Amino acid sequence: MSQTARVRRRRDLTPLFLLIPAGVVLLALTAWPLIQLVVTSFLEFGRAQIFGAPPVFVGLDNYADVLTDAEFWQVLGRSVAFCLVNVLLTMLLGIAIGVLMTKLGGGFKLLVSVGLLLAWAMPPVTASVVWGWIFDTDRGVVNYLLTQITGADFSGHSWLIDPLSFFFVATIIVTWQAIPFVAFTVFAGLTQVPNEVLEAAEIDGATGWQRFRLIVLPYLRGVLVILLILQIIWDMRVFSQIYALQTVGGIAAETNTIGVYIFKVSIGAGDLGAGGAISVLLVILMLALSGYYIRSLLKQEES
Amino acid sequence: MRKLALAAAVAASAIVLAGCSTPSGGDGEPAEIRVWLVGADTPQDARDYLIETFEEENPGSTLVIEEQQWTGLVDTLTTALSSSDSPDIVEVGNTQAPAFTSVGAFRDLSGIYEDLGGDDLLPGFVEAGSYEGTLYAAPYYSGARVVFYNTAQYAQAGVEVPATLDEYVANAGTIAEALPGVSGVYWPGQDWYNALPFIWENGGEVAVFDGGEWDAQFSSPESLAGLEQVAEVAASSTAPKDGDETDVWVPFREQQGATLSAPSWAYWSIIADADQAPTALTDTLGYYALPGKDGGAAQVFAGGSNIAISAKSAHPELAESALKIIFSDEYQGILAANGLVPAKTSLGGDVAAATPELAAIIADAAANAKLTPASPKWADVEAARLLQDFFVKIATGGDIEELATQLDLDIEDILNG
Repeated sequence: MSQTARVRRRRDLTPLFLLIPAGVVLLALTAWPLIQLVVTSFLEFGRAQIFGAPPVFVGLDNYADVLTDAEFWQVLGRSVAFCLVNVLLTMLLGIAIGVLMTKLGGGFKLLVSVGLLLAWAMPPVTASVVWGWIFDTDRGVVNYLLTQITGADFSGHSWLIDPLSFFFVATIIVTWQAIPFVAFTVFAGLTQVPNEVLEAAEIDGATGWQRFRLIVLPYLRGVLVILLILQIIWDMRVFSQIYALQTVGGIAAETNTIGVYIFKVSIGAGDLGAGGAISVLLVILMLALSGYYIRSLLKQEES
Repeated sequence: MRKLALAAAVAASAIVLAGCSTPSGGDGEPAEIRVWLVGADTPQDARDYLIETFEEENPGSTLVIEEQQWTGLVDTLTTALSSSDSPDIVEVGNTQAPAFTSVGAFRDLSGIYEDLGGDDLLPGFVEAGSYEGTLYAAPYYSGARVVFYNTAQYAQAGVEVPATLDEYVANAGTIAEALPGVSGVYWPGQDWYNALPFIWENGGEVAVFDGGEWDAQFSSPESLAGLEQVAEVAASSTAPKDGDETDVWVPFREQQGATLSAPSWAYWSIIADADQAPTALTDTLGYYALPGKDGGAAQVFAGGSNIAISAKSAHPELAESALKIIFSDEYQGILAANGLVPAKTSLGGDVAAATPELAAIIADAAANAKLTPASPKWADVEAARLLQDFFVKIATGGDIEELATQLDLDIEDILNG
């Protein structure tokens, strides 16, 4: 055996050993629950099974039930629409604020940063309850201000009873809390755009918008794609905000998003089998979505 | 090689960390037990008494009371009771108890049944907390709903205490018309507990067990007549159409409504505000039992709670010791003095001592109380919030017959599923 061959073999094994810690953690924390989830989705698993009765294998019954249930499709459609609106708003406003921060002077930049951080650091349930109070039917400050400003009588106006209006409030809460992450990340990305290139373009007569579109955006592309994927995943499985807002008011059955629906089917109605099936379908949907974007991202980096 | 060893150590610790979540403990040694009480119903005096007495009787051990919300309670209990970090003692709504007693979530209480009061316990609640003849969740208290009214506003609007349910409904409209901005009956849209009596008094039912399966009855002609009345009363209300019955006494004591149907213990929150200062209602509060269709007291919802020890309690003997304190005459006496109907029937007379005027009315209401369908799956109907959503839609003026027909299908789906 030659010296080089031995070296090569040792080099072949080291990466594997290095992967062990991360691999074990991933297996324990991600793969195992995922396998459990898939297994559960093939079982009849109700409240009796939660407390120890043996589960029954029912094959694809749970999937058949879910896919033929009109409510599932309504909830899914609602979630997709809610997700699209929120991702779009979050990305647009987040990028705008990120760009704004590069132009702000010391004091104002600090003020904006602290404000963003506070919004981001607030626990979602707390935020939802507080926003719920702001929009409260009887004592909400929004109704009070609208009455003062417009002169029309808004006292007693329920913001949550109409599903569309409910999601308007939910969108404010979700977007408000998601913007800081996008803004900070974009701001960090913007500091990496080389100044010389921007200056050169400016000398050549490119307008602000052209510089942003043709120079800054391509530099930020990687960051933005990652942000987009994360936002889609987060907004698609949104739970706390909707669940908390439903306890404040509104009609629960008409405002469920897929995350809340899974919880209600699994825990509320005690049908973990059906809940598992919905979750697996959601996982597949999200994998397909993010898989597509990650692949296109990798392709671009290669080329 | 050092890197490899390090990697191995990290991997090993990850495995160890993942595996070490078994709680330690056992009986005989001091420990902390957690008691879950729901809502603000249990008076502070009773909580203090429980903690002090328990810690005296079990030196070194401590008892913590964690207050839960009625909203989403079935969800919360399902998760908590099946986890390795289960609370030791939990309060559960009487209509929700069967969902847990039927699946082995609670510890068998037969062994201490006599210590808890035996045959002295409220029979209907013992039945709600038993499964196949074994008691798992003991009665905790019962709270009858009483109608409170603002005597000054009634006089102003020119209405008398109603003798029949029809008069009650008519009064609601009269008051709302005579006193703009004031609710005839303060009625948050989600409040299904107060809506059920209208169905029962008109001869309707929630659901009947017929030929081996449940048949929901909201769309029967009798129930529809009751629901029409619900819609009429709700229309007289300025309360949020999608609000729930949490803290309803606040708007009532601020004179936003002339009438309020609430659990009897709400009395204390009406005559005094959060700082114990007198309110506008301190001198103008009247009460009566909800009148029936043909006079007398209406059949009202038998609200109340059961209390149980989690099957997964790490300290069942300490939990039993705490449960015995809860069923002591002293503790139950405190509940009675605060207007709750205690779990022990022999102490029923003590409710009278606390608020003499109310006593007869509570007794009238309790005597005619009715429960929701006795199915272990009824809790799922509550968890799905079917009734809340339904009554919100009625309060906003939805088509009653159409909504009721759909509700019946949804309920049958769950009860027979």
